[in-house]
Amino acid sequence: MARTIFFILFIISFFIGCKSDQKTSTEKGYLRWVGDINFDSSLDDTEFTICNSQDSIIQYFSTRKGAQYVGEKSSVIQHFKTNYEPIKGKNQNGLIRIRFIVNCEGRAGRFRVLQADANFKETKFDDKITTQLLDLTKAIEEWVVLHHDDKVFDYYYYLIFKIVDGQITEILP
Amino acid sequence: MKILIRLLFLLPFTSVYSQPNCEAFRYYYKDTIKYEACKKAEEINGLYQFSKEYQQILDESIKIDSTFAYAYRKKSVAYLKSGDFITWKKLMDNAVKYNPQDNLDYRGLMRYRCFRDYRGAIEDFEKLKELGFRTDHLGLAKALCYKMLGEREKAIEILEPHMKEEDFQAGLYDYLHLGVLYLEQKEYEKAIESFKSQSEENELAENQYYLALAYKALEQLTAYKNHLEQAKKLYIEERRMFQMYIDPIDKIYLQDIEAELKKALHGSG
Repeated sequence: MARTIFFILFIISFFIGCKSDQKTSTEKGYLRWVGDINFDSSLDDTEFTICNSQDSIIQYFSTRKGAQYVGEKSSVIQHFKTNYEPIKGKNQNGLIRIRFIVNCEGRAGRFRVLQADANFKETKFDDKITTQLLDLTKAIEEWVVLHHDDKVFDYYYYLIFKIVDGQITEILP
Repeated sequence: MKILIRLLFLLPFTSVYSQPNCEAFRYYYKDTIKYEACKKAEEINGLYQFSKEYQQILDESIKIDSTFAYAYRKKSVAYLKSGDFITWKKLMDNAVKYNPQDNLDYRGLMRYRCFRDYRGAIEDFEKLKELGFRTDHLGLAKALCYKMLGEREKAIEILEPHMKEEDFQAGLYDYLHLGVLYLEQKEYEKAIESFKSQSEENELAENQYYLALAYKALEQLTAYKNHLEQAKKLYIEERRMFQMYIDPIDKIYLQDIEAELKKALHGSG
């Protein structure tokens, strides 16, 4: 009997957990800032550390220099162009955002994936697409280190991939 | 006036959307609920738009009046800047629903600039026009959307008359975008003319780069090489296209110039 109750509770908690993952930030309640990413031991590499406190992480544009890449954006475009294998299939259209933190050493971690169809509705792309994009983003070894007034910052960055018929047509920002 | 237009161009996420006059809701529209929502929304002044406090105040404003478009739009900006297209779109859909005339152009511009949703942007611009509001300030954006959808002739049809109007004030990159369109359509003389106009307005590495490509197509190889060298110089001096959050259409990178220079110097251009 106890085992049955435990099993039922486990199933219920599983569905609650899945559901909350699909909620948008506004429905979840707020963290310090919109888009903040807290450490999650079930997802995140424990070897990735931020250099300053969680409350000191800024946005990539906070130093007014815009989107920056080591070797410029053309290097990142080339990286995906060379290594991404298009996955054809119905409904493989829309936007995929991979948001993450870049630390003061230019290393990235705490990756999170957001997916929407071409009408901005939450969706789920073929795993082969998202896994490739995530792995290729993680494979970028060096990101720009953000300085301002002799201080080095950890910051949030993201890549948005526009996907049409399973192919990357644009990379933002 | 020209300086003002340029400043506005540099603020893609803010656009021209000021704090509403709350008193107008009270005395002119006799709408006390909207007045209360507006007064609540005023409390965001001085707060960081990403912060919990900022978002919560706007939630309270929406709770007072769920049709208060301003609060939805102000909430949406942090989501736009963080790349959360799902939440941004939901919020902006509400802003448009409750005040289409003030929000359709902005939603369309952000769809195209930040998420490269060209069809969606055109739909928003067209909808605004159908509602009887002015859309002449959206000419360049609309043209670039058509260009990105592969309809370059249509893009030129929109831009040419717009830029010939007597009171036309060029934006930072208008002549460059038009020149690139001509270049892509193989109308090289027109492209060169447009790039020269861009040089007079606001010289850029991109302008010299595309000018070089036009001369290359005309087999004027000395001019091709000279303009590429000029492009590289301007790029290093940071005189290049720039938008704070998202790279603009027609932007190039140093690698592009250097790859082309290599071709020019080795005669394989």
